[in-house]
Amino acid sequence: MPSASNRTVRQEVTIPAGQPIIEARGLVKRYGSLTAVDAIDLTVYSGEIFGILGPNGAGKTTTLEMIEGLRPPDAGTITVAGYDTRTQTEDVRRAIGVQLQTTALFDYLTASELIQLFASLYGVDASPDRVDHLLGMVGLREKRDAAANQLSGGQQQRLSIALGLVNDPVVVFLDEPTTGLDPGARRELWQTVRDVRDHGSTVVLTTHYMEEAEILCDRIAVMDHGHIIALDTPVGLIESIDVEATISARTRNGSLTLSQLREIPGSKDVSINGDQLELRSDNPQATLIGLLEVARTANVELTELRSNQASLEDVFLTLTGRSFEPATETTEDEDGTSKRRFWQRRKAA
Amino acid sequence: MTGFLAMVKGFLKMTVRNRTALFWNLIFPVIFILVFGTVFNESDFSANVGIAGAPSDFHSEVVQAMDSSDIFDVSTDETVDQQLDKLKDGNRDAVIVFGDAPADGGFPTVQLYYDEAAGPNSQISISAIQQTLNQVAQGPSPVTVEAQPVQTLNISYMDFLLPGILAMSIMNSGVIGLSTSFVTYRERGILRRIKITPFPLSSFITSRVISQLIIAVPQALILYLISNVFFGVNIQGSILLVVLSIFIGSLAFLAMGFAVSSIAPNVETAASYSNLITFPMLFLSGVFFDIDSAPGWLEPITKVLPLRYLVDALREVMTRGKGLDAIWMDWVILGVTALISVAIAVRFFRWDSKAV
Repeated sequence: MPSASNRTVRQEVTIPAGQPIIEARGLVKRYGSLTAVDAIDLTVYSGEIFGILGPNGAGKTTTLEMIEGLRPPDAGTITVAGYDTRTQTEDVRRAIGVQLQTTALFDYLTASELIQLFASLYGVDASPDRVDHLLGMVGLREKRDAAANQLSGGQQQRLSIALGLVNDPVVVFLDEPTTGLDPGARRELWQTVRDVRDHGSTVVLTTHYMEEAEILCDRIAVMDHGHIIALDTPVGLIESIDVEATISARTRNGSLTLSQLREIPGSKDVSINGDQLELRSDNPQATLIGLLEVARTANVELTELRSNQASLEDVFLTLTGRSFEPATETTEDEDGTSKRRFWQRRKAA
Repeated sequence: MTGFLAMVKGFLKMTVRNRTALFWNLIFPVIFILVFGTVFNESDFSANVGIAGAPSDFHSEVVQAMDSSDIFDVSTDETVDQQLDKLKDGNRDAVIVFGDAPADGGFPTVQLYYDEAAGPNSQISISAIQQTLNQVAQGPSPVTVEAQPVQTLNISYMDFLLPGILAMSIMNSGVIGLSTSFVTYRERGILRRIKITPFPLSSFITSRVISQLIIAVPQALILYLISNVFFGVNIQGSILLVVLSIFIGSLAFLAMGFAVSSIAPNVETAASYSNLITFPMLFLSGVFFDIDSAPGWLEPITKVLPLRYLVDALREVMTRGKGLDAIWMDWVILGVTALISVAIAVRFFRWDSKAV
């Protein structure tokens, strides 16, 4: 019975690429006096990798969990693959695949046993071939007989993703899939995410890594304090601000003043921190030449001169007036502790 | 159904591969049985002896001698029949019955009844009684002692202990095992992970319970086989009643573990709450000794401890060979324990451990 009804669901929800697959309107979630998610709207289109980017405590996970049907919103409506998450919970569950922020794996079971178990829980094909296929998709074929707790962090995350794929979901949700991973493991996981999309699933993921959102996602919703403050492609987001690059350098044998830097053509926003100076520019070429001239005139030597293309970091800085960094200092949290701390800080402020 | 079976199978694998659980559920009770079986054959003891029968000088001298000894706890106020009933109930280790003194002024016949099930050292108490009789008679065995074992001749302290240890392991794997594993599932997000599948939580919990019931049978069998091989323990009553008692007891203690898991915020507190519940029960429910011989003020406390009723049900059937009529009330009480615990568990259930 379950497998039969699942097959029906999969046929019904075959949505052509580019059609809306998730539609959320006016989502609100409050925890006591804190409004974690404040009236957000978003639409995700079939076939894309959609990122929700924001610092810890921005409301990303809460948003994701409301869309998944794990947390009921205090206000707003959500449809996923055409089903209402509130009234058609069962259909939504069969249509989606989920990887939670905690890897949520049973101890003492091997990778292949876990995939087989979860496939059985969905009542779908749990045959060795299918298990093998899923292990292959996340690059864990050689780890099929390893117990979950013997896998590395990255391997556990990929196994967790494989568990989210057992029912051939039309949408896969990944909550901070690369948090706590080293750069190598992160890159491997990005490839896994692309493979998942290429197999026909739409991917929605949260991240607090700017670079990850920029490299991996087709479109990004930038969240802060429970609001979506921008939503566009990475290129679109960067073009929306009138900064093209950030130029930085270190001064030696003397120093420059802020007013000297402000007079340089193209400079928008300047700062001096000890011997470190930084200029954001809407015309990098002019600004670079200007900076070199000012330095020569003042007889100041510049080292470590660098020009970085504008990134999402600049987008966030421009939109919020603050840097992303303070909140991302505590990245190792996976249990929500530092997240609570962040919220408490905000409540106190 | 496939999901349910797969989940039961998964839980069975997890239980068998979990070495810590294996230790507490199997090795620990086995150690208890081996240690108690070995140690209690040599320990100090006090024998509860009833003395009755025809009055004679010899009768009074024996009572006096045994009264003044530390190792005997003598009762003389009951009739022969009352004493023998108490022996059968397990309230006497031995009963001495004096016959009429012969007209020639010789020693009366002495009959010695004993029940090995009542204590660890029946053999020692019998020889101590014989020694006392000989001392009072001031000679080597002028008394003809006819030892009259009551019907439960083959029952030893180990027969008495096995049902207690079995009940203990059922309690531990139920309360401690379930509470810590469920809190772990909650902390790790496994409960939420299950919530997001079409597999209902009720099926998840039921499959956990079923797997525990399946495990409980070989667990009991291993304890029994060890007791049988090393200490000659036998089961007197119906195997079916033993298995059903194990199931009902498991349900009661799994439910208690579930209640603890709902209340405890994390694994550490779940473990300490579980110990807080299981430890007093371990010592006040007659696992190691007959709870009827405990001081009277303890009675009201022991009566509210569910383990007492599982110990009682198992012991009545396994050791005393009793039937359903002797244990149905135990089952009812264990069932009520399960219902109350489930109500608490449902009332305080949480999907995740986050404070928000």
